[in-house]
Amino acid sequence: MKPWIWFWTGCLLVAGPAFAYITIIVTVRGFRDLLDMFRALGNQHEMVEDTSREP
Amino acid sequence: MNFTVLDWFIVVSYLLGTVWIGLAGKKYIGNVSHYLVAGRELGVYAGIATLAATEIGTITFMYNAELGYKYGFSAFAAALISGLVMIFIGRTGFVVSRFRQLKLMTVPEFFEVKYSRGLRLLTGVLVALGGILNMGVFLRIEGEFLTIVSGINGEYLVAVMAAILLLELVYTVAGGMVSVVITDFLQYVLLSVATIMVTIYAVYHVGWGNAVHKVTATLGEAGFSPIQNPKFGLTFIIWQILLWFAINTCWQTTAMRMFSTKSPETSRKIMMWTGFIYLGRGMLPMLWGIAALTLFGTGRMDHGVPLPIVNGHELPPIDAMPAMLAGILGPGVKGIVVAGMLAATMSVNSSYLLGWSAVISQDVILPLRQLLKKPPLNSRRQILINRVANLFVGLFLMFWGLYYTPPGAVYLYLNITGTIFLAGGFVGVVGGLYWKRANAVGGYLAMLMGAIGAIVPFFFLHWSENVTGFVAFGLAATGLIAGSLLTRPSADKLAGRFSPAGGEALR
Repeated sequence: MKPWIWFWTGCLLVAGPAFAYITIIVTVRGFRDLLDMFRALGNQHEMVEDTSREP
Repeated sequence: MNFTVLDWFIVVSYLLGTVWIGLAGKKYIGNVSHYLVAGRELGVYAGIATLAATEIGTITFMYNAELGYKYGFSAFAAALISGLVMIFIGRTGFVVSRFRQLKLMTVPEFFEVKYSRGLRLLTGVLVALGGILNMGVFLRIEGEFLTIVSGINGEYLVAVMAAILLLELVYTVAGGMVSVVITDFLQYVLLSVATIMVTIYAVYHVGWGNAVHKVTATLGEAGFSPIQNPKFGLTFIIWQILLWFAINTCWQTTAMRMFSTKSPETSRKIMMWTGFIYLGRGMLPMLWGIAALTLFGTGRMDHGVPLPIVNGHELPPIDAMPAMLAGILGPGVKGIVVAGMLAATMSVNSSYLLGWSAVISQDVILPLRQLLKKPPLNSRRQILINRVANLFVGLFLMFWGLYYTPPGAVYLYLNITGTIFLAGGFVGVVGGLYWKRANAVGGYLAMLMGAIGAIVPFFFLHWSENVTGFVAFGLAATGLIAGSLLTRPSADKLAGRFSPAGGEALR
């Protein structure tokens, strides 16, 4: 039983901090990603409108 | 009532803010690609947020906590497998890289690209059936969580379920994937903060040593070793590995994120980093379940586990975790945690609503129209059909959630309903992508035999989940191989569609 307790404790010690660390990174850089996505979608939108205006 | 004015203020502010921000996504919707895959403009970090938020809901916390309560630390094996499989897929690009190169919008669409339109239709029906049955239990369990933690009278459960659904529908119907990605990002941040807070509170309140002692006293070796636990064992572990490969590659809501990325390389990175989140997604709520067992596990024995007793009332094991949160969290913190859980709920449900309604519109209605020789629909009409499908899926969920209670552990019910299409779907996808000989006859047999292998043993013969899973995947593989080898080979429709470097499709 002891090896299993150590094994699961180790897994938790990896899983918990990894979860917290990735949350911080994603929070900061994900916001920038969203802004990029809006810009790209806006450009796509303009291209669609331009195409639909062509005679 | 467990909520203070401050808690209500936090929760209501979050709900109004989410709907407002979600509706802002509507202005970016110009065509069906924007609506379903956000114009394929998703970056790595927003991608991680939306994938994690989509697959972490209150339902996830509830069923993982239930597993922790019932099976102790042995349950961690399921979480470990889900995360490691995801990391492996991210490292290798197995399936996801080729999927992204094909520029698909739904999983069943692959079955037309590789096999035939008829098979896409069949796959679409099975994906929609399995997916909606799967999601059917979400609302009820989420409603139970919220009523227990907030202390709202149980008679308002239906009203709580309806309110959750309505708020999700408002922005999902309007802004599709763009709104879902925006709200998912916010919801991911909030749900992660809540997850970390609850974990700290639970361990601090219960104590690590007490939790280990309780599991030892209650379950013995079976509470730690997944090999020794009668519910798990080697067959469970192998089935879970197979199932998680299928879920992480062919589950419609997960695959939609892979289809929405800027490039195949982005898909791989998202998959790999989300794999680490998946370790916590499973293990942390399982730990809450173990903490709840330690606090409340004093009732009569049921299947080898003491039922939770809270304030003199006997509860089912799945309700022990929310009851614990209602007891240990203070004012303000409870509001943040419930807002976090609501965030988790809404991000999952909105993505699932979009995912299953996309399958109904793109893979059932549109192919049917083509088979009936009707003229193709323009983008605006396709979006309209998606929105109407969204509403119908939402209505169905409401009624199914009210009248159906899953037998046994919810996690296993979700596994089996998913297997209805995942067995044939995964076999058909892997065979189609990596085996040139795979043909439409094999694809049909894989889908049909996989679905029969999941439905008949579980719902009619009442076999265990492990055996049912093996039968379903085994029959699907047999169907694909036998059907493809015994009939005439077809032309390889995917020849030249993949670049060796994993970049964009060659044509």
